[in-house]
Amino acid sequence: MTEYAVVGRRLPKLDAVAKTTGETVYLGDMKLPGMLHGKVLRSPLPHARIARLDTAAAARLPGVRAVITAADTPRVKFSFVEALADKYLLCTDRVRFIGDEVAAVAAIDEATALQALDLIEVEYDELPCVFDPEAAMQPEAARLHNGASNVAWEVHQEFGDLERGFAEADEVFEDRYETSRVCHCCLETQAVIAQAHQGGRLEVWAATQAPHTLKHELDRLLQLPPGSVRVHYPPIGGSFGNRLVADMKAPIAAILSRQTGKPVKIVNSRTEEFETARTRYPYLVTMKTGVRRDGRIVARAARVICDNGAYNDKGPSTVASAGVTFAAFYNVPNVRYDGYIVYTNKQPGTGFRGFGNPQVTFAGESQLDMIAERLGLDPLELRLRNANRAGEAAASGARPGTCPMAECLRQAAAKIGWQRRRELPPNRGLGLAAMLHTGAGARMYGYNSASAGLTVDEEGKVTLVSSVTDVGQGAQTVMAQIAAEVLGIGLDEVRVIGNDTDLTAYDLGAWGSRTTWVNGQAAREAALRARERLAQSVAAWLEAAPEDLEFQGGKIFVRGAPDRGLDFAQAARLTYTKRGEPISETGRFVDELGPTMKGWGDVYPTFSTACQAVEVEVDPETGAVRVLQAVAVHDIGQAINPMAAEGQVEGALAQGIGYALMEELLLDGGRAVNPTFADYKIPTFIDVPDPQVVLYSDPDPTGPFGAKGIGEPGLVPTAPAIANAIYHATGARLRSLPITSERLFTAMREQPAAPGPRRAAETPEPPGGASPDQRADGSGPDKLQR
Amino acid sequence: MVLDAAAAMPLRLTVNDAPLELQVPPQELLLDTLRERLGLTGAKRACDLQVCGACTVLVDEQPVSACTYLSVDADGCRVETIEGLAAEGRLHPLQRAFVEHGAVQCGYCTPGMIMMAKSLLAALPSDADDEQIRLYLLGNLCRCTGYAKILDAVRAVLRQGQTGSAA
Ligand code: FES
Ligand code: FES
Repeated sequence: MTEYAVVGRRLPKLDAVAKTTGETVYLGDMKLPGMLHGKVLRSPLPHARIARLDTAAAARLPGVRAVITAADTPRVKFSFVEALADKYLLCTDRVRFIGDEVAAVAAIDEATALQALDLIEVEYDELPCVFDPEAAMQPEAARLHNGASNVAWEVHQEFGDLERGFAEADEVFEDRYETSRVCHCCLETQAVIAQAHQGGRLEVWAATQAPHTLKHELDRLLQLPPGSVRVHYPPIGGSFGNRLVADMKAPIAAILSRQTGKPVKIVNSRTEEFETARTRYPYLVTMKTGVRRDGRIVARAARVICDNGAYNDKGPSTVASAGVTFAAFYNVPNVRYDGYIVYTNKQPGTGFRGFGNPQVTFAGESQLDMIAERLGLDPLELRLRNANRAGEAAASGARPGTCPMAECLRQAAAKIGWQRRRELPPNRGLGLAAMLHTGAGARMYGYNSASAGLTVDEEGKVTLVSSVTDVGQGAQTVMAQIAAEVLGIGLDEVRVIGNDTDLTAYDLGAWGSRTTWVNGQAAREAALRARERLAQSVAAWLEAAPEDLEFQGGKIFVRGAPDRGLDFAQAARLTYTKRGEPISETGRFVDELGPTMKGWGDVYPTFSTACQAVEVEVDPETGAVRVLQAVAVHDIGQAINPMAAEGQVEGALAQGIGYALMEELLLDGGRAVNPTFADYKIPTFIDVPDPQVVLYSDPDPTGPFGAKGIGEPGLVPTAPAIANAIYHATGARLRSLPITSERLFTAMREQPAAPGPRRAAETPEPPGGASPDQRADGSGPDKLQR
Repeated sequence: MVLDAAAAMPLRLTVNDAPLELQVPPQELLLDTLRERLGLTGAKRACDLQVCGACTVLVDEQPVSACTYLSVDADGCRVETIEGLAAEGRLHPLQRAFVEHGAVQCGYCTPGMIMMAKSLLAALPSDADDEQIRLYLLGNLCRCTGYAKILDAVRAVLRQGQTGSAA
């Protein structure tokens, strides 16, 4: 493995100190001169016609500066995907979920704005609602939009010959899984400040993961001439997918600002956030898998029904993304994916760490354990027999590149002590799950490139202008480490600036685990060019050819003769003063397949893989589950900053534990019943074990220094690993998330008392290929009865 | 927040060692006094319900949730916020440990977490086990880190002794 000086080091993040001193200014901390406070009037009903809307009394309230309704907004429908536009900025004549934006107010303070909302009179005529996505698909269901049905979008893909695949299978399994509606729960709620300038430009401060996308979205929503919008993106208090698509507060604030001539700030209350900030999409997944007796999966079909909520957001993208991965996972020769995105009268969903993959992986990886049991195979062995291998193209044409899936599986099993499976004390269980995920964003939007600017100043200090959105993951630090490595200088010598769409190059944002792979290549390229420039500049002094110069330890010297050199800073000075040359370079990374990609084989530039293994303890009296141990082995290519990368996995794993065991936004008639942190529990210090994270190094030649993304994968296999461990502990197979103590308690009660469910009576003789480990495991029925 | 000056009450306290005399309405929350009146925005509002700990500050060395604490109840008290922790450019050992252990991601929970950890240093013995540390910090939510690196940072400082002085 190549040793680097800065890359691969556990270095503190550039922004960490300011975050520990309270100096970091988040959006909620910002005040602009003359700033007004906005509030949004939201629908109290899940589906209704607006019969009358009267804002006169609100407008008369002292301190109110503007009140707007749909009449003040452009008549244009919006969605992230323009072709699927379905939402007005403010509701015109109809509301479709509790929380739908109806009107908005700007006032001198928040309390006055809230008071004004109470004075807005709205009369609604209730309309029939539909909450269940399957019911919503029926022809007689109440419609949310004008389309032929409530199916907003669908996707169907088949590779190989599914029918033949199932015909060749020795066993076919079909099960249905349900995942829950979970909230991102960023500690900072959504917020925005907009300032419409007299000259026509709109300046926006937004907590966003995709600032350049937001810029274009606001152009569309507000029908502005292209180039009108400038987005500042200050540090964000969490994102996880919640800040990918324009939230209506941004255009609302813009219109309020235009009407008042003042900057307008709108901040979600925590309850508003739970009720309206969009959630992870709940999926219903019907998973059908055909296997040969030796465990090889020969055919697989997933039918996914995604509860879209009232409007399209990232629904199509998440369902499609999950399908692309599903079609490649385990290299199944005959595979089919059918996805339906269905409108219901509920808060819309959006992307959330994994983009549909956690939902489908929960189904697939839960079912694999059931298959293993039926075949008399160890779940680990079954996965090893199907694991994707490096360079092996899937039926869809997708190429996982480097793909140490088998290695990740083996290491995770070894670290958790998989051989203990047959000797665990009562109520304990071990489970594992693997995953495949993009390690480099996606090309589905036609562009997956990046550029970065790098200046070496006259003192030798480096400024990198990067488009990355640092949402706390350390993206700016990672970019700086890449540049420092190339230039042979310390991390302290590099500053990163960005956070402003007028300054940074167009970029798709922080999602899809793409930043390191995509933007990292641009940063590396920029630094390489600066290095070339410096080498040319100092070659004459050093009496050497530029290509014979080394950049290392803050010095530039002739290869093999470290004393024939000069300081990096000195070289920079000489370049400015003696040669009269600035050092300012642009690095470009061009992903040519972006615009030309065809089909599912090209969507992800490279994949990453992982295996997580957990040990759980179930309280037989209550059904409460404790995760005692968690091991996460993640293929990352090459960690640029292992400490930050581990942090991504650890945080994702904790969110995965929440997803598996406790989190769900409960709706009753479309109304959230637990929209506070008191009632919607997220994992605390005592719900999460100290995990063992292994960053598996296998440099991917496509990435910068061999790196690929790690933002999302840590959550993808967690829930099925836990579900599998719970099954191992109790014999209860839970197919719905979250596995609350109540659900598990009920399921345990419904188990046949004896013999133990863990090795069902119908388990056939292990086929010839079963591992010795498994055979031993299969012979411990006494333990199974607990 | 509408602050009704007519009903204001006098409030004397020290904030990060600076003595202050203010007039605040009786219903004003300490978090608003700090953030809106004094411009100390380090303490964050994240739940408004005393369940997340993002707004934690110390009042006479006791951790409180400033989002649900009346400013007038701090009359005559010493209030410490994250802004007062680093002295003359020297980070507090907890701040340094959070930086070095990678315990900071988005940073939104960090000020409250560090203030809670500061009170932990005074409350727990330096050989307290992880379970004790976890239970002490139970009321501070972090959505980013999964807590592992925060635990590492706090444990490291606790082991150095409880003085809170230079590490
Ligand atoms: S904001 Fe005070 S405890 Fe959450
Ligand atoms: S670092 Fe983001 S909430 Fe803790």
